[in-house]
Amino acid sequence: MGSAQGGRVRLTQSHSGRDTVPVQTEKMRHLYVVIDCSRSMEDQDLKPNRLTSTLKLMEAFVDEYFDQNPISQVGIITTKNKRAEKLTDLAGNPKKHITALMKAVDTVCVGEPSLYNSLNLAIQTLKHMPGHTSREILIILSSLTTCDPANIYELIKTLKSLKVRVSVIGLSAEVRVCTVLTRETGGSYHVILDESHFKELLMLHIKPPPASSSSECSLIRMGFPQHTIASVTDQDAKPSFSMSHLDSSSGPGLSLGGYFCPQCHATYTELPVECKVCGLTLVSAPHLARSFHHLFPLQAFIESPVENLQGDRFCQACQAELKDKSVFSCPSCHSVFCVECDLFIHESLHCCPCCIYRQTAP
Amino acid sequence: MSLMLNNAPCTPVSAQFTLSKCMDAVMVMGNAHMAMARTNKLAVIASHCQGSHFLYPSKSWSGGDGGGNDASSSGDGKYELLSAANNLIAEEIRNIMSKIEVTGNSTDTLLAGSLAKALCYIHRLTKELEVGQEIKSRILVVKAAEDCALQYMNFMNVIFAAQKQNILIDACVLDSDSGLLQQACDITGGLYLKIPQKVALAQYLLWVFLPDSEQRSQLVLPPPAHVDYRAACFCHRNLIEIGYVCSVCLSIFCNFSPICTTCETAFKIQLPQIVKPKKKKLKQPM
Repeated sequence: MGSAQGGRVRLTQSHSGRDTVPVQTEKMRHLYVVIDCSRSMEDQDLKPNRLTSTLKLMEAFVDEYFDQNPISQVGIITTKNKRAEKLTDLAGNPKKHITALMKAVDTVCVGEPSLYNSLNLAIQTLKHMPGHTSREILIILSSLTTCDPANIYELIKTLKSLKVRVSVIGLSAEVRVCTVLTRETGGSYHVILDESHFKELLMLHIKPPPASSSSECSLIRMGFPQHTIASVTDQDAKPSFSMSHLDSSSGPGLSLGGYFCPQCHATYTELPVECKVCGLTLVSAPHLARSFHHLFPLQAFIESPVENLQGDRFCQACQAELKDKSVFSCPSCHSVFCVECDLFIHESLHCCPCCIYRQTAP
Repeated sequence: MSLMLNNAPCTPVSAQFTLSKCMDAVMVMGNAHMAMARTNKLAVIASHCQGSHFLYPSKSWSGGDGGGNDASSSGDGKYELLSAANNLIAEEIRNIMSKIEVTGNSTDTLLAGSLAKALCYIHRLTKELEVGQEIKSRILVVKAAEDCALQYMNFMNVIFAAQKQNILIDACVLDSDSGLLQQACDITGGLYLKIPQKVALAQYLLWVFLPDSEQRSQLVLPPPAHVDYRAACFCHRNLIEIGYVCSVCLSIFCNFSPICTTCETAFKIQLPQIVKPKKKKLKQPM
């Protein structure tokens, strides 16, 4: 029960800043994650070593990120030996990133990182992104030094003009240049205390940031392809190559079904994807629906002592007897829930089970 | 261990196939599930237009220790748990049917609320397990009523929560096809079936929905339904293949418009570059 209470305390802290008016958040985010692979990552203060621990947490991060931001993209950059190189390009599919992260566990950590080079590499792609999307860089820095070929303060000015938001998670100690970098670009800078704190800080970056007034609002043209499942006996079925396999080294397989781009009829196996032939962004309606709970967030429930409750003491969601000291009630339908259900409802469900009967259409 | 939850709408269906026959088939299915393994658990929820109600296990029933209770010991030597479950379900349904008044002509049930309660129940059971034990859960929805369009967003929230918890949602539809349930089954990996003959409900339930997800790969089951994932535009409710999405509120439009009707943001319009028409020299007629 201790962990549930602890979880409850953290949730209220994140809820306290939330008011009932939904804040506009960035929907389409382009995020580059820069992972430091210098010699300091072989340190064993995080088990088994910093690099393995970081990569493991990154896999969880990527999964959770695409869950909360379905139409966003992530790219991964590693920096070591005074150079920076791209591990994966900006893409909307989590599988590619996760396979790359799993392979990266074997990399040798050598040399010094280079903040300038990694930021430069990220900017090359980010500056071409359209204005209505958010451009973000998250740096996981463990070394206390950085080796830059040019003046990084000039680069910070460039980042500011390009409206790129840079945040840093430090694994060792606070470094002044990171403080200036994050302050000027509007990001956040934290240094971890231990592994669970590291996970918490990473997960903070999953929630979509509030939309800055400078981001443009525009209508984005998107396609909603149909999933066709054709069998060999269908006369109209034509086998086709999936366009997403063009990059992979394994040979492309012919398949009968798949998602067909409505504009150019190129085939893809998974969504969301940007059509390589005609450039149309392809999504499915549930992907957009995943972000709706950010638009209409669920109100925090009111806590009250259990003694004030009249009648049967049962949680209306899970039918358990209310044995805790406090119960939670929904402000609009006044149904009563236990601690576990309250946590579950706010973290995963995002809708009150009893309010649905009294709701009008959103 | 597996847990199965069953939602049954309490709206009347056609004359030949009444609610009692439907509940009989459901009880057969529930008994079969509990008989498959000693550790299997069952919960039944009835969902009607004014709320959802747990039929089994019921709050007033302290399960497990009812020795010597007249209601649970049946004379025909049936396993006591099964007969207790049947009696309880029948009694609760009678209570509900007598209590709710059919107001108005609403024939749609709000399924999202019942699914949310089912998920909370599963979540509670998972928390009550000891460390190292696992419980595999799935939800079976038996539906006769029509979809309610109001619940789209809540329904999608519930579906994504179920997908994250690895809970399958199966659907057995009696009357009309339900687009929402088709999407739910596709996203969570469950089975969707529209029953051709309602009198054979028990057979379909036992054949298709009784085995759990691992056994299903070895059986020949009905093929997956084609799910229409096209979005409906907010202005006409037509299904569109290419549309315009507002970057602020994610509403979908079929035509370009300068202002989003949902969040009322004005969009930057890309004006086409004005090309000055070249003055053509008119040919003088000779």
